[in-house]
Parts: sequence; C-alpha cells; structure tokens
Amino acid sequence: MKWLEVDFQGRKTRVPALKFQGRLWFHWLGVNHVVDAGGTGRRAASEKAATHPGIISAPMPGKITRVVAAMGATVAKGQTLVVMEAMKMEYSLSADLDGKVQELNAQVGAQVGLGEVLVRLVAT
Amino acid sequence: MARPRKFDKIVIANRGEVAVRIIRACQELGLETVLLHSSVDTQSAAFRMADETVCIGEAAASASYLNIQANVQGALGVGADAIHPGFGFLSENAEFAEAVINAGMVFIGPTAENIRLFGDKISAKAHVEKNGGPTIPGYSGKDQSLPTLLRECQRIGYPVICKAAAGGGGRGLKVLNAASEAQELIESAQREAQSAFGSAQVFLEKYLNNAKHIEVQIFGDSSGHVYSLLERECSVQRRHQKIIEESLSPALDETLRKEISFIASELAQHAHYLSAGTVEFLLQDGKFYFMEMNTRLQVEHPVTELVMGVDLVKAQILTAMGAALPWPKVFQARGHAIECRLYAENPYQSGMPSTGKLLATHWPQGAGRRFEVGFEAGDEITPFYDPMIAKVIVWDETRIRAIQKMKRTLSETIVFGVHTNIPLLQEILSHDEFLSGTMTTRFFDKHFAQGLEAPEFSRSEKSLIQMLSGQLADGDARVTSEGNPWTHAWRNP
Repeated sequence: MKWLEVDFQGRKTRVPALKFQGRLWFHWLGVNHVVDAGGTGRRAASEKAATHPGIISAPMPGKITRVVAAMGATVAKGQTLVVMEAMKMEYSLSADLDGKVQELNAQVGAQVGLGEVLVRLVAT
Repeated sequence: MARPRKFDKIVIANRGEVAVRIIRACQELGLETVLLHSSVDTQSAAFRMADETVCIGEAAASASYLNIQANVQGALGVGADAIHPGFGFLSENAEFAEAVINAGMVFIGPTAENIRLFGDKISAKAHVEKNGGPTIPGYSGKDQSLPTLLRECQRIGYPVICKAAAGGGGRGLKVLNAASEAQELIESAQREAQSAFGSAQVFLEKYLNNAKHIEVQIFGDSSGHVYSLLERECSVQRRHQKIIEESLSPALDETLRKEISFIASELAQHAHYLSAGTVEFLLQDGKFYFMEMNTRLQVEHPVTELVMGVDLVKAQILTAMGAALPWPKVFQARGHAIECRLYAENPYQSGMPSTGKLLATHWPQGAGRRFEVGFEAGDEITPFYDPMIAKVIVWDETRIRAIQKMKRTLSETIVFGVHTNIPLLQEILSHDEFLSGTMTTRFFDKHFAQGLEAPEFSRSEKSLIQMLSGQLADGDARVTSEGNPWTHAWRNP
C-alpha cells in the first residue's frame, strides 16, 4: 500500500492505494474502493460472475452441497437447480428461465471456483 | 467444582479473531499457548502468535475443528492442562467437554451437564418452563419425520421458525412463511444443521415478527455464585446472523432490565451454571420470551467487557483454575459500547462472500476503539470457514457518541484485497430506526433486503482514479501489514 499525493479540486491530499492483479484498491472519503486498474473508473466487475440467460455459474468459490437439476429435465423459472455452501452458509442457484437442462457440471462435494458454469439451460 | 489447579499451558481449539483474543488473555496471565489448526489455516494472526501450533486435520471443519478425537489428541500431545474452545465449532459440544475431562485436562467453559442441558435447545426449553420462565409456543418432539414437522407447522400457524436443536449463530435456521415453502426450508435447515453441528435435529417455534433480540450475559464463578452482567441488544441481524450488537439495550427501562437480569440469573443458578453463558430472549410488546441459552463465550462479549470493566476470557480461565474473581457482587454499566462485525462480503452484491488475499489493512486506533482482528495483510481469506474477519468495538459516554465514534472509526478503516460490509454498516448506523433504538429483528430485511447500490464516481473522481492508476505499477502490492499511514500521510497543507 502506498500513500499517493494527488491534487483533487485544487487541494493536495494523500490517498492510500495499491494495484494488484489488474485491480486498483484505494481509500477515498472514508470508503474502500476497488476498480479495474485500466484507469477507466469502472468498478471491478470481474468479481461478478457473468450473467447470461440460461447460464448458471458459481457466484462465489465454494462447495456443491446438492444437485437438484437432472440432465435433460424441464425446469421452471425460479426452481432451485444447485445448492452451494461457502463460509458456512447455503446459497441456492435457481433457474432464470423456463427451460431444459442442456449441460450439468455440478457434483455433490466438489469445490468450484468463482464464475464456473454449473448448469446450462435452453429456453423452451 | 474440581479442586483448584494451576495451568501452565492452554490449548486453543479455534481460529480467527477469537483465537487471538484467547491467546492474548493467556499471554497476559503468563500461560503458554498452543493453537490447534487445520491444514489450510496457517495464514493467520493466531498461528503466528501461539507458542506452539499443531495441525489436527484437513480444511473441512468436520475433519479438523469439529473432530473431537483430533482436538483431544492434539492437546494431549503437547501436554496441555486445559482447552479453550472459543465459540462455534466444539464450544457447545458436551461430548467434547467430557472427552477433554476424561483425558485429564480441564475444559474452559461450563460443565458437560450445563452444555447438555442448554446446548440442546429442546431440553433447555423444558428447563425454562420448569422454572417458570417465559417460552415461545412450538414443537420440540423427537419425531423428526417430514410429515410430522409439516403437520406441527400447520398447528402452530405460519410464520414458523425452524431451528437446529444443537444450533446457534443462524446456521440451520429458517423462517417458514407459508406451507408451500415449508418442506424445502425444513430440509435445508436439516442439512445446514448436520453440516454445522453434526446433528440434523430441528425444532419449530411460532415466529415473533416484531421482536427485539435481548440477551443477558451471566457468569458462574468457581464458588457457585452466578453474576448477571446485564444485557446486550443484537436486533440488527441478517439471515439470523448478528451484524451489530450493543450494551446496554436502548429499549429497556430499569424495571424491564431488572426483570430480565433476574430471570436469566435464576435459570443459570438453578442449573448450577459454571463460567460464561448468555441467555437469549425476544422482547415483543413489553414481554420477554426465552429463545435459547448459549453455553459459551459470545462473539459480542467485548461490548459487555467495555461497559462493565471486566475481562470475560480471563474470568473463564481463572474460574477453570478454581480461582476467585475480583468482581463486585452487582454490576452497573458505565457508558455505552457498540460492536460491528466485519464480514468479507460484497455489499454491492447482496453480501456475496468475498475471498482472496488480504493485501493491506489499517485499523485506526484511538481512545475507546478496540479491534479484534484475526488476519493480517498477506493472509488468505478462504471459503472454508466463517466470513467474519474482524470486529470493531467502540466505547463512549452515551449511545449517540458511541455511534458517532463507530462511524468515524469505520470510515478510517482500510481493508484492501477482499470486499467488506463496511458500507452497509455505515448505512445501518445512519438509519433513523437504528438511531432511535427502536429496531427489531426485522430491521435489516425491512430496509436493506435490496442490498446497496454501488455509488457512481463523479467526473473528478474518475480523473483521480486515472491519476492513482498511473502512479502505481501492478504488483506494487508489497504486502504491508500495519504501519500507520496517517502519521506521515495527513499533514494539513
């Protein structure tokens, strides 16, 4: 962490900041921020698993505790497909559309990484 | 009570900030410490502070922190006199307490009988009813079949709360609002209970939907006297996990305070309770209902310590040795204390866990500020355990000043590397309902269920970001532990 001297609206101030693996962390007006380090000011979105309709991916690293979805099964929007656990809490991942399970990459007990695609649905 | 016995070496069967808290208390008492840890848990403050460390198993808690034999063998191997279980994990496991005693060591905490009576929420409720205490209508039968549980839900009337019999801390606990969702939630509660506590047994209660969470800290000393250290309020909860706690409660007048304190100490006294314990109640429409008794040190114990001027961990150790406590017979609170739990989670994504390497931290010290920290810069926050990485506790003369101090302290706190819930805590601390002290356990869901919107940067802030980015090279994260940035960082121009 460095304390960078910057000019902000005509006033000199120091900002604690560091850059690591393509992201810029800085503390500004009492808040910790993280943004893409490209300097675009875009809030680091890489944290967030990409959201595409029908693609159910792990929203966090964790363990699969239950697989409800079955290959080829027809599911309704809102129906639970996979249950994950991280930091001792359960999270249910549910279908975001009415469809059919086209791909299933979830096994009970498996550790999965952030953004890993667990279920692919095709709309019906 | 066992014969007085002096300890030389204490084993800590826990991790994170509570392990640090216990190690410090031991060090101040001149005792040697041994940390029992899992194979992945070597990057932590406690690991570095303990005199000795012993790996007792793999990452999964069931293979390490929840494995009774591994903990007992680990402690025997280093010749420990006693084991402090902290909170969570095996802290409320009567079998563990017994195994420790049978191995010739002392369990720092209540007796195995105490844990058995209160640790099982069903027999606890029976104890309260037998002693004329107030309880919530519900079902706590042995028959755990789904049809029976669903029928009982119907009888009690929705909303119903389903809890792990061996539980605590919000795990294995679900609110069932209607019959349509009951089966799924009961099954989920049973799985969580099995995974967190090793028992899938649950019980049902009528859900009080406009209640405050009030709990009384009690303590049984080695002579059999039970102290009341008055109450804490922990109504700010999300998914039944506490976020902000304070002592005393802004909601009690002296009459209610005396009443609850008396009920709690009586329940403990009748059970010949030893060491630290917390009796949890719901308060609705001026009436208390017993919820559960936690037979352990509580996460939020520091707020009581600050307003009462005690050290509960040292008191536990001294009591386990059979020594007397230097405490007054009756406690009076001084000022007001608030605790905020810092969770590694993304406040802009409805609290999704955030894992990764802590790159830098700064805990802004000051009068009446206390930080309970388990991890330092360079440590990895893993998905295997609890998301709580630290606690920030403040004390001031009045509640409003304590709130102001907390807000200021959090605004100076730096955590880089993982997201934290600090922005959410700031919103809560500024909310009218919290400020007025009228919040109930529904406060969070009522006002914060939608999560926080990430604030947009202004144009000048965007150019500031560009400036910062231009001045730093990636990998500049020479991971810096503490170091006080402010002494040389802020000089008024």
